[in-house]
This record gives sequence, C-alpha cells and structure tokens, in this order.
Amino acid sequence: MISHTGIIKSAPQQDLINEIQVFIRGASNLDKCNPLELSKTALTLLKLLPASRVAVFDYFCKVFDNAASNYIKGIESEIKTGTLPQQCETDEVVISEIHLVLAQLILENATAWAPIISTWSLELLGEISTKYAGRAHISSKLNETLQLWMGCRATRTLVDINTKCLSSLIHSDTEACISALLDTSVKHSPHFDWVVAHVGSCFPNTVITRVLSCGLKDFSQNKSYEQGCNSAKLKSVVGILGHLAGSHTEDIRKAILEIFVRSLRETMDDTDATRIQKKATTPFILQLAYLSSTLLSSICDDTKHTLTINTITRLYFFIDDWCRYFGNPETLEEFIVTLILRCESGGAQILTLLLDCVLVTKIRGNDAMKNAIREKAKDILEIILLEIDESVRHNSPVNLLKSFKKETKELNVLLLNENKLIYETSAQILIFLANLNPSVLINSATHLLLNATNNEQLTLLLKMLCHELVDINCHKSGHFSVVLEQILSRNIQKFSTSNEENSDLTKMWENLLTLLRWEKTNKYPILSSKLVSRAIQSNLTNLTNLFASEILHMHIIADILDTIEIPTTKMTYNPPLQVILNLSQSTVNYFYACAKEQGTSLKVQGFAKVCRILKRLCTYSKVAKVFVLRELLERALFRSDNNLFGGKSNGLHHDCEKVLLKQNKKINKIIPLTKHSSVFNGGIIGNGKRKSISQDNLPLDDISHNIYQLINVLKACCSAQANEENKFNDLSLDSMTLLSLLLVQFVSPDVMYNGLPWPDEEFSKVTIERDLFIRKMFTNAPLLWNLLGFVAVSRPALCYCSVLIRALTATLIHQWKSMGEQSKANNTDNYRNLMETTVKLIELMALGQLLPPPLSNIGDVLQFLKCFEIVAILKECVWSYMRDHIPSPALFVCDTNGTYWRDPTIVRPPETYTNALRIIMQRNIKTLGPMYAQMFINVPKHD
Amino acid sequence: MSTQSDVILKQSLRKIEYPLCAKEALGRIVELICGRITSIKHMDLALDLMAEFIFYEVDRRGNKRPQIVTPLQELQLLEIMFEYFNSIPNEAARNSVFLSLFSGTTAMMRSGILSKLISIAVGVSSPVILLSASTWMQQLGCLSANSCKLAEALVHDYFYLIPNAKDRLKTLPDICPQFTANFLTAVAENYYLNSRKDKMFPPKILLEVITMWISENSSLCISAQQKQAALPPGAIAMEVTTPIAGLLRWCILAPLYNQESELYCHLHLALLNSILEIPQTVPAKAIYAQHTIVPISYVMYYVNDLKNQGLNSEQVLNDEKLQLALDRYAQAIQVALSMKAVYGHVDDLLNQLQHLPYNKLLNIVVNTHKRIK
Repeated sequence: MISHTGIIKSAPQQDLINEIQVFIRGASNLDKCNPLELSKTALTLLKLLPASRVAVFDYFCKVFDNAASNYIKGIESEIKTGTLPQQCETDEVVISEIHLVLAQLILENATAWAPIISTWSLELLGEISTKYAGRAHISSKLNETLQLWMGCRATRTLVDINTKCLSSLIHSDTEACISALLDTSVKHSPHFDWVVAHVGSCFPNTVITRVLSCGLKDFSQNKSYEQGCNSAKLKSVVGILGHLAGSHTEDIRKAILEIFVRSLRETMDDTDATRIQKKATTPFILQLAYLSSTLLSSICDDTKHTLTINTITRLYFFIDDWCRYFGNPETLEEFIVTLILRCESGGAQILTLLLDCVLVTKIRGNDAMKNAIREKAKDILEIILLEIDESVRHNSPVNLLKSFKKETKELNVLLLNENKLIYETSAQILIFLANLNPSVLINSATHLLLNATNNEQLTLLLKMLCHELVDINCHKSGHFSVVLEQILSRNIQKFSTSNEENSDLTKMWENLLTLLRWEKTNKYPILSSKLVSRAIQSNLTNLTNLFASEILHMHIIADILDTIEIPTTKMTYNPPLQVILNLSQSTVNYFYACAKEQGTSLKVQGFAKVCRILKRLCTYSKVAKVFVLRELLERALFRSDNNLFGGKSNGLHHDCEKVLLKQNKKINKIIPLTKHSSVFNGGIIGNGKRKSISQDNLPLDDISHNIYQLINVLKACCSAQANEENKFNDLSLDSMTLLSLLLVQFVSPDVMYNGLPWPDEEFSKVTIERDLFIRKMFTNAPLLWNLLGFVAVSRPALCYCSVLIRALTATLIHQWKSMGEQSKANNTDNYRNLMETTVKLIELMALGQLLPPPLSNIGDVLQFLKCFEIVAILKECVWSYMRDHIPSPALFVCDTNGTYWRDPTIVRPPETYTNALRIIMQRNIKTLGPMYAQMFINVPKHD
Repeated sequence: MSTQSDVILKQSLRKIEYPLCAKEALGRIVELICGRITSIKHMDLALDLMAEFIFYEVDRRGNKRPQIVTPLQELQLLEIMFEYFNSIPNEAARNSVFLSLFSGTTAMMRSGILSKLISIAVGVSSPVILLSASTWMQQLGCLSANSCKLAEALVHDYFYLIPNAKDRLKTLPDICPQFTANFLTAVAENYYLNSRKDKMFPPKILLEVITMWISENSSLCISAQQKQAALPPGAIAMEVTTPIAGLLRWCILAPLYNQESELYCHLHLALLNSILEIPQTVPAKAIYAQHTIVPISYVMYYVNDLKNQGLNSEQVLNDEKLQLALDRYAQAIQVALSMKAVYGHVDDLLNQLQHLPYNKLLNIVVNTHKRIK
C-alpha cells in the first residue's frame, strides 16, 4: 500500500524537492543565478512548504538588502558625479514580485501571516537602517531619513508590507506587531526611528495604545526600581511616543488617560497579570513622564479632570504597591516632586489639587486616610515651594514656573480665596514669578486692588508689594504706581471710548482709600516707605484728569485727593503744574456736582473736602488761585450753574444767536421790498414781545445754602497761608483784592471808566448805558450782592469794586427820580424792589466802610422818607461824599493785628455831606427821632 | 575498532563544508548503528557525529558552538536528511537512525529541525519519513511533550499558515495512517485542557479535517496499533495510545465552552463508529480508562460555575449544554464498554461517573455496567 501511494504522489513530491534543491543551489550561490527565477522558486516554497519559510525570508532579506545597497550606492555616486546611474531593474521586478505574494498572503490569512511578516519586515528595516546609517550623507534628522528611505523601492515596499500587516490586524490583535516594533526599536534606535514615525503616523491610535500596553506589560514585570527605569523597552516606548507627540499629542494623552482610568477600575475577571499591570500603571506613567518632557506636558495639561479628590482617595490604596516600583516611599515622593517641578503646563491645576488635598474634608473614608492625604499633600506643597524658592534665588527657575506664568489668571483668582493657605500659597508663587518678571506682580496687584473685599486681602497686597524677592527698584516710583497707572489709563480709555463703565471700580477706589488711610495713620511699619502716597502722587495727572469727568466715584476720589493732601504739609512733594491745573478744574467741577446733588450728608462732606483741597492748593499756587476763583465765579454767575444761586438764566442770548447766512438772506429779501414799497416793517420789531422767563427756581433754602457754600469755598481759596503772622485774619488780602478785581472784570461790560474815583453826578449821563447793564447783572444774579458782601468784609477790597457801586448808585438815583414823579404809592413791587436794593447798597457800602457814620446808617432811614428826599440824600450825601473821598485802600489803616479799617470815631465826614441828611431827618423827626439821636447826637468819640 | 579510526573519520568529515558533511556523516551513522556488531562505543561515536556534523551543535573539541546554523544551512540539512531517509530501504534501519537522531534526551533541543523535517515530509508526502516519525512518536509516547510540540508545529504550518492545504491533507491517512493516528493523539492533547489557556480550542479547519479523516476511515484511530512498527533490534515496543479518548473529550466539553459547531456532532458520531470498528482483543488496548475520566473534572468546574452564578441544583440539571455533554459522555462510555475496548480501572471510571450530575442515559449506562460486573 505504501509503495502504491508512493508512486501516485511521486510527481508533486519530486517537484517540491526539486524546488528546494533549486532554491538551495541558488541561494548559496547568489551571483550565478537569475534572481527573478530564484525568487519565484522561493515564493512557491513559501506558499507550499511553510517549514522553509525561515530560509525563504532569510533569502528575501538578502534581496532587499542588496536593493537597498544599490540604491544607496546610486545616490552616493549621484552626489559624487552629479548623474544618477541606471537603476537596477531586476531589483525592482524581484521586489515587486515578492511584494505581490506577501501582500496576498497577508490578505488571505492575516492572523497567521501578518505577525510573521511584520516581525520580519521590521527587523529587516532595522538592520538596513542601521547598516546604511551615515551613508549617502544622510543627516540624522528624522524627516530627511524618512524621505531618503521612502525613495528606496526596497524599504518602501517593506514599510508598505508592514503597514498592510498592521491594518489587516487592526481590529483583532496588533500586539505581536507592535511588540516587534518595540523590540526592533530597542535594537536599532535611533536609525530605526523613521520607521516608527512612519508606522506611528499611519496608525497613531493603535501604535500609541499598543506601545503603551506593551511598555506597561514589560514594566510590570520588572522586579526592582533600577531595572524599571533602565529598561530598554521603556526607553523605546518613550522614544516612539516622543516621535508621535509632535502631531498626536491629543491621542497620546487620551491613551495614557485611558490606561490610567482603566487601572482604577477593578473587575472580577482580572487575571493576576492584569492586576499587577493595573498596579504598575501609575508608576509606569510617572516613569514615562520622567523620561520625556513632551509626555509630561501632555499628561499635565488636563490633570483637573483626571485627578480629583475622589480619585486620590482611590489611589491611596495603591501606594504601597507603587512604592515597590520605586524602592521606598521617599523615592516615590521625591520622584513626584521632581515631576511636578518639571511640568511646563497645568501647574495651576496641580496646585489646586494639592490645596484641595490639604484642605480635604468631604470625602468618604476614615480619618486616618484623610490625615495621611492631608499631611502628604502639605509636605509636597511645602517642598515644592521651597524648591521653587531656591531655584529662583539661584537664578535657574524650574519649569513649573513657566507653567504658572501662563496661568497667572488662575493664580490671581486664588488670591481672593477666603482660605489663608490658598491665598498665601498663590501669593508666594506669584512673588516667585514677579522675581522673574515684574509685570506679573503688577498684574496680580491690580487684580487684588480691583477686587479685594477685606482687610486681609489688602494686607496680602502690601505684603506682596514689599516682599524681599520683589525688585523694588524696578520701577522708579514703585510697583504700586504702575498698578495705579494701568488701572487709571485703562479706565480713562474705556471711559473715553464707551462713556460708560464696564468694570466696577468702586471696590478699587475704596481699597485705595483704605490703604492711603492706613498709611496716614503711621501705625504700620510696612507702609513706612509711603508706597501708597508715592504711587498716587506719580499718578496724579491721570487721577485728577479722571476726577474731572468722573461722576460715579467722585466722592471717593475726592476723599483720596483730600487725604493725600496736595501739596503735602511738609512740602516733600511738588506737584507739577498740570496736576495743579487738573486738580483745580476738577475740584471746581466737583463743587458744582455736589451743589447739584440731592443728598445732604455726602453733599456737605463734599463741600468740606472741596474747601480743604482748594485751601491747600490756593495757598500753594497763585496760578491755581486765579484759575479757581475765575472758574468758580464765572460758572456761578454766567453758566447754567447760576440757577443754583438764584440767578436768572440769560436765555436771551441763546435766541439771539443768529446765523450770518440767514441774516444775509433776510437782507436780500428786504432790499427789493424797500425799493417799491412804503411799508417799513412787517410787524415784528426785534425778536417780538419779550417772553416771560419761567424757570423752575430752586427753593430759597437751597439757594441760600449753596451761596453759603460758595462763599465758604471762596473763603478757603482766599485764605492766608497758615504760617503767616496774623492769626486774626485768616483771609489773604491779596486774594480778596484779586476776587474784587475779578468781579469788576466779570460785571463791568468794558474796560473804560473802571477806575476808583467817582466823577460828578452829572457825568453819569454819559455812563448811564453801562450803569444799567451792570444793574441788570445784579438783578439777574443776586449772588453778586453776596459776593460783594463777602468782599466788603475784608476791607479794603471793596474799593476795587468802586465802579460797580457807582453804577448801582447812579441807576438808583435815576430810578428814585423817576419814581418821585410818577407815584407816591409805596406799595408797588417796583417801589419795594427799589427800596430793598437801595438799602442793600447802602448797607454794603457801610459794611465795606466806604461810608462812615452817620452816612452808613442811611439804610435804616430811607424807608421812612419820600422819593425826592431819598434822591436828595443819595445825591447830596452819598454820591458827593464818594466823589470827594475816593474809595481807595489809602483810606484804610492797618492796625497792629494786620486788619485794615477806618476808625469811625476819627473819620467823621465833614458837615457838607451830612447836612442834607440831617435836615431831612429833622423834617421827619417824628418818626426818626431815636435814629437821629443815634446818628448825630450820641456819636461815640475817640478819647 | 580503535579511537584512531574515529579520529580519521572525523578529520575526513571536517574537510567537507558543513551542510554537505552531514550527508557523509549520516551514511557513517547508519553503518555504526545498524552494523552487525553494535557496541556502546559505536553508539557514542554516532552521537558525536550527529552533534558535530549534522546538527552543528559542538565544535571539534566538543565545546558548544556559539554561532547557530543559518536558515539556509538548515534548509540544506533538511534536504539532505530528507533525501537520505528516503534512500534507506530498510524500515528498521531508518527508524533506528531516526530514533537516535531525535532521542528522548536530544529531541527537545532538536525539535525545531524535527518539526521542519516532518513538515516537509507532510508537504511532499513522504510516507517513509512519516512512518519513522510515527514510530518515534510511539516510542516517546504520543502524549509526551515532544509529540505534542511536533503536532503543534504541524498544525501551525498546515492549518494556520496554509489554510487551503485541506486538499493536500485529505490524503494523509492514505499516505501514512499510523502517523495520522499518532498525530491525532498528540493534537487531541493540545486542546480542551486547562493547562493551555491561550489555545483552548482547535482551529476550525483542523476540526474539519479531523472529522473528515475519521468519518471516512473508521479504522484510522486504531491504525497505529494494528501494524507493529519496525524497531531496531533489542528495542522494546511501546504501547500506542489511540486518539479516541482525547477526541471524545473535545466532543464532550465543546458544548460547555459554547463551541456549537456542527462538526463536533459529526466528529462524535465518527468516533462512536470508530469504536464500533475496534476488533476485540484480549486484553483490550484501544481506550485507557484513566484517559476517559479527564472530562469529569471539567464538567464539575462548569457545574460549580453555574452554582456560583446563583442557579439552584434543579436549574443546573436543566442546563441544556450540560445535558448535551453528559449525553455524549454516556453514549461514548456505553459504546466503548460494550465493545470491551476499555482497559485499566473500569470500576474506578464507573464510580467517578456517578459523581456527575444526574443524566438519564448516563445513569442507565453506569447502572447497567455496574450490574454486569
């Protein structure tokens, strides 16, 4: 039977044996055979006799190696001679033949062939890469190597075959292939890297996950720490992942996270091996991160979501197992600290996690665990801070700081945390950063100043600003001034672009004020450098500028400006002119803003602040004084603000404004009319009937209060310097003179006839027009009376207002004259107004000591007299006396107290000026008896 | 008869390049082993020659060679051995050389070459070599690690790598039924055993081919027992284990592992038919009782698993898979016992079977046979 079958099967049997023999002959003597035929034989063997596969693959190695060698030689000769030699065609044909068959094998039976072929192709690639490394002037750069080898038919085919293997297995089992990749990579690195890069970019997910799991498998089998960290496979894993990190960071991160998450999940069907692997996962990841910074950063990017307190509590039970991989707990801790210090991203997340651990309260688990976690986290945090501190002091900052630098925002948020540990830690880190880059400090300080809500946070701000690691000399006027500058400039910018405030600065202003007040108390040594006031001083230009336009926070800014005291009492700071002008303007604005305000307490406080600020300012600078007085008066008298003081708006002006174009058109129309018509006027003369101006006048109380405050402010402006000798008169004479002159300037319509002397009464006919104008001013702005009254008090300033008084007197005489002719009824409004005004004028003159007694008492008498008598008195007594006694400061003498005055006992007017008065009073002695006695009989005499 | 001649022989062989010298060496070895006078000295020399000139394991001083044979040299060696064995007409001589080349002590070391040689023999259908291999398996034990390893290598070559080799393998029982039978015995040992976790189940093609073989040739399983192997003089023939018990284990356990292929039914039937074909011998030698006990523990594992899942004993008994397995088990035992093909502790077997969960058929079978005894 045996022989029988032997005969039947002899044909194929003999054929196959022949093939083997042919192959052996050819393969052992490569030079003397047709490579194509030989390859075909080899492929037949491979398909029919699997036992021969090792030899066949070995032969293929030679074929590919030869082809690669030819390729390299070709390139080398091209470099040398410049021409590319003829490519060997048989190589191409043979390789494509082999490629075809292998591809078919993979296609037909991937599970069996792919691991074999893939391992073979990878090893061959490794050998070829190593063998020809450095040839053909290849630079060692990955991309160029890749380009070179992808240009070679042999290697390209191998890579393609390998890719086919992997893709055919992608859904089942790639472990064998990837393990081969790792092994080869271990053996032939770095020349093999291009293959890894190529394969990796073809199957990033597979390669990454498989590489990780192979690495983990290998790592979990290590017995000792040394073995673990020196494992070639681990290094290869790191190398491969490092290559892929460039373009597949996200995938790597995901893969690492996946194995981490998987390691936390325990399932019933875990075998021992997987259990060990799970325990080794975290040490493995740590080790990877230790070896590659790219991996480290890709892991660190998102610790927030991976590592939470709850995860930590679960990890807690693994720690003993981990220690095995590091030798002892100390090494593990050191390792983790090193890693943390090397993180270039995600630092804030790590910090938050550590802080969370330190402050852990709400977790499941016993107290022992809680305590252990708390203590360890505290230790690590401390060590990290210490290390950073040291590194900063040695000018070699750790990487972690780079990460923090990107995350100052988060750190700034932590600054405002309620917990002391948290805000102090973040402050500490920010100070480290500030040491490297002062702008960080500015940023944080700004954040604190803007948002601090309690004293602790403000204290923290001061501590940060004064920390020893912070370079104080970096900015000329201190960091804090830069902080303020930024806030102010940003604010101004915003304000000017949108005209509304986006960020609420209320807190900032309050904080600033608090800090300033702290400094002023001189109780805190940390503030002895006066950093707050220095900062404010250097920003005064902006601050005062802002104060001028600010409405929301004007009170608090006023507080600050008041507290900072410009100029300072000790004259240590000389504000620039711009500041003075800004401050003057803005304070005046503030004054009017206060006056308009509805409330009372803020308003009153505001007035007080205005007074204090202006007093300081005006005593310091004459320019400021002139500016402030002018501004105050002008606004109170002429601008829309005048209704605050009972003024009638001279709205006529607004209507009168005429456009020249319109006027010209009017004329053009009228001219032809006048030529052909005798009609002179259409009906309306001027602007027609005068409209009765109805205004919502303020209540009298408010007006008088406002006037009172204005006078107060003026008083403050005119106050004498505190160190002057005369303590009794706190007003400066010069200032009052200035005020007086200003009034003349404002009220008098032109510069003519503004002199002090009073001409003949007859001359008033010439000046009647301007006299009436001045009179009208007084009617429209009753405030003028108060102002004159204020001037009159500080003699002899009223003298300079002589022209105003003269005009008033002239108009009054005129009016009384016409009154006498028209009516005797003294009950009309007109009469009362006239009488009131006259009395006011006389009293004013008396107050200013322009009229000595008994003339100064005329005001009391007038109301009992008839119109012609009043005219006579005004003419004969007042006007004549004034005409002959020019109201000039020369009339006044300065006494020992520095007060100017005219002694009424000495300067009695001569009889000529009092006779008219006397006669009229005698005529009315019935009613004026007691007064006559007082004025003419019981005259006090100078002893 | 002197060591001098040995030295000369070795020196002459050393002049020939490595794989080629193997041919010459083989000739000498045959002479030494199959010569009329065999002595221990000859044997030693033959072993030396093998190590140095055939397997290239040691150098001239007997030290271990650091470098290994290249794949091409190995292929050359295989070709030489193949040709050589085919050229020896005497079966006994062939077997002697084969057994000494791959003796119990060296087989593990040389298993790679052995596997490849047999693989080629299967590929090119060389009944001569396969017969020797069959004898080798028989002598080392079909269930031994060596045999199992060989079987595994063949399965890898012809069932994994070349899935379309089915047609070529169809004729293997015709070419060398003894080898096929022993191969089956070894292969059966490679699957359905807990010791081999990674490969619990045979590939489908293997199962298909085995079913085909046994269905078409019901005497295949015992073919190795039917013909006495030609052994070197003085050698003791070892008893051959048939694949029946092992393959029955596959059929019994398959349902428990959710292997629901129809092929197991066919295989089971074919096996039962094969048992029926076993000629009665005294004593029985086809099926060893101890080998048939093996499935019991696996069935018990399965029952325990069910219980662990929370099933009560009634639910366990109603488990269809379990009952199918027990049915198959009972059928096989019944047929085997009734054919009186079982040897060894049959009582023990019956006792053990009683521990299994209740199955009607099994109960009847066990009780019947207990009564007969």
